[in-house]
Amino acid sequence: MSDATLPGVTLAAPRRMGHAAFWLAAAAVGLAVILALRGIGSEYVYFVSTIVLQYVVLATAWNILGGYAGYVNFGAAAFFAAGAYATVAFGKAMGLGLLPCIGLAAVVGGALGFGTGVLTLRLRGAYFAIATLCLSVVLQTIVVNWSYVGGSRGAYVLRPRDVPWPFETYSGFLCAVLVVLAAASVAIARTIETSRLGLGLAALRDDEQAAEATGVPTLRLKLVATTVSGAMMAVAGAPLPFIGSYVEPGSAFGLSYAVNAIAMPLIGGTSSWAGPLIGAVLLSSLQQAATVTISSAANLLIVGVLLVVFVCAAPHGIIGLFRGRR
Amino acid sequence: MKEISRRDMGRLALAAAAVPATARAQTAPSGPPIRIGFSMSLSGGLAGNGRPALTTHRIWAEDVNSKGGLLGRPVELVYYDDQSNGSQVPGIYTKLLDVDKVDLVVSGYSTAIAAPAMPVVMQRNMAFVSLFAANVNADFKYDRYFSVTTTGSDLKGTFAKGFIDIAMAMEPRPRTIAIAYLDSDFHQRAAESARFLAKERGLRVVYDRAYPPTTVDFSPIMRSVQSARPDVVFIGSYPPDTAGMLRAASELRVSFPMMGGPMIGPHITAQKLQLGPILNNLVVWDVYAPAPTLQFPGVQALIERYQPIAAREGTDALGYYVPPMAYAQMQVLEQAVRRVGKIDQAALAADMHANQFDTVIGPMRFDAQGEWTEDRNLYTQYQGIQGNGIEQFRRPDTQVVLYPPKYKSGELRKPYTAGA
Repeated sequence: MSDATLPGVTLAAPRRMGHAAFWLAAAAVGLAVILALRGIGSEYVYFVSTIVLQYVVLATAWNILGGYAGYVNFGAAAFFAAGAYATVAFGKAMGLGLLPCIGLAAVVGGALGFGTGVLTLRLRGAYFAIATLCLSVVLQTIVVNWSYVGGSRGAYVLRPRDVPWPFETYSGFLCAVLVVLAAASVAIARTIETSRLGLGLAALRDDEQAAEATGVPTLRLKLVATTVSGAMMAVAGAPLPFIGSYVEPGSAFGLSYAVNAIAMPLIGGTSSWAGPLIGAVLLSSLQQAATVTISSAANLLIVGVLLVVFVCAAPHGIIGLFRGRR
Repeated sequence: MKEISRRDMGRLALAAAAVPATARAQTAPSGPPIRIGFSMSLSGGLAGNGRPALTTHRIWAEDVNSKGGLLGRPVELVYYDDQSNGSQVPGIYTKLLDVDKVDLVVSGYSTAIAAPAMPVVMQRNMAFVSLFAANVNADFKYDRYFSVTTTGSDLKGTFAKGFIDIAMAMEPRPRTIAIAYLDSDFHQRAAESARFLAKERGLRVVYDRAYPPTTVDFSPIMRSVQSARPDVVFIGSYPPDTAGMLRAASELRVSFPMMGGPMIGPHITAQKLQLGPILNNLVVWDVYAPAPTLQFPGVQALIERYQPIAAREGTDALGYYVPPMAYAQMQVLEQAVRRVGKIDQAALAADMHANQFDTVIGPMRFDAQGEWTEDRNLYTQYQGIQGNGIEQFRRPDTQVVLYPPKYKSGELRKPYTAGA
């Protein structure tokens, strides 16, 4: 496999930051964000940031399979809800707090992603997309009929009364956890993108048969991508029960998660780790602002309009616009 | 007689203008407004009931302000559309409390909207009055939560009691019951109550199944119920399913001695008109009906004020379901604030636990969990509907109250034949 034949090569410039340096930079930015939010100290800012960061994780996770490998996953809400319900189930069964539940949600999401990969990766294009859509329906039906996690009634998850040190409120703690998750997911995405795995995924995105003919282990790469993507999407959903204290299938499997997970990377740009990050911050901030200003169901409308505009005017997203100028 | 000079005329005119102004100043609210925050479903699936609730809240605010405000200050409503989506609710309440700095909070419409607000209001120790939320506090056990809905805290023991009592009073005495319900929180609880009480009263359950929210064809369900040959049919459904279920019953020409239950749908005017005679003899759970026995002080005046506004805004035309409850929700807050004399959340909660509230929906008192101490699940029956005109639904004899006996305004008619 030669770097010279792949479109992702433009990123692989000689002065590219190394993996360790990028992880350190992500940690530093994460710490700076936590300190800045703590400086503002407003509960509302914590809440909005939590939601925005949740979408950063979700969009980044989706992009690993949808953007790097070109396999469009319409079942993002299923993985997200799997994370949320993993928190409900493990929290109830073992009395675990948020952090261990996030770890277990990653395992559940990863297993679900792997299983989905094994079952569906022989499908391509629209057929794969439809299969992932079905996954969402199947999983929602299971949850609705699983009374242990509340079934269709929904489940209550009470926030612990003791707030971990050094946070003053649980919202502040939740927000800090999401900052760490977002920084980690961006770093993971960037590591994948600039590694042999990312190059292999780019190869199969451009032409799967050609990639296979040149020795790229496509099935293995796709399974790795679905597993990592599934695990990260579940991680994004894991804190959901602690944000609202109440989860019900209707909102956990909500259309907005599925639509946003696709729209955010497309608007930001799918070829780079920065695309989903930019798309998620832009779109979810706009949605949060719309909720308390326009105060209507304008959220999905905003997503739809922006998606149409970007597909027409900037098919490679915001990142593509900047690359075009260079 | 001394003639009035031009200067005197001016002085008199000034005095005449000043007197009513002074009088107004004594009653007009002044000072910074008391801000009351809430989320409301103005779009999405719950908007059909969320919008009438908002209209009613506005009427209440106008009423209070026209009578000198609350504690001499005007009241101001601060609200955001939650899009019928519970995940929007925590953010809305955080903004209301942190950025908008509201003084008081109440909930939007339904359990799915009230429950996600709980952690936020609990964190700020706010008194919280909910609207149509069923048993939200069973898990939270928050001592400043108060529920404006008629179900009470013992849903299992009381919710279907009226329905079963009416059924058991029929001659010949029924022996079997079918229970079909939507797979949702409210209807699961309702079915649980029907099952429990049926067993207690010796009714054999011959059909007991939930259907998923995605169901669009109700004929197979109604056919299965019909083939089980029950004497009584208890159905729990939301508006789209209720219409589907009753249309299927009509097409299959069913005939049961008694049918009904918490079939939410005819509560909304549009569905009353759409179904017309199919509603005849249907026994429906409700919270209010324009019956002479339910004419609590202020309720008729509220409905008369509401209906022209609803016609203008295109919300529920008759307003018998949500508006009385939504107005009562605000009256609970108003009466507590007036009694306490200041905005003190702990004192407001203590007052709400200690006192009775006289509202447009009748007197109410809250138990330790914040639910009504005495449930008031009404079972009403639609009778004598002809055609699809709206005027007949304003008459008290079109929807009579069968249960509880205290509010009874008519006798049961049977069988239910879906308009045939």
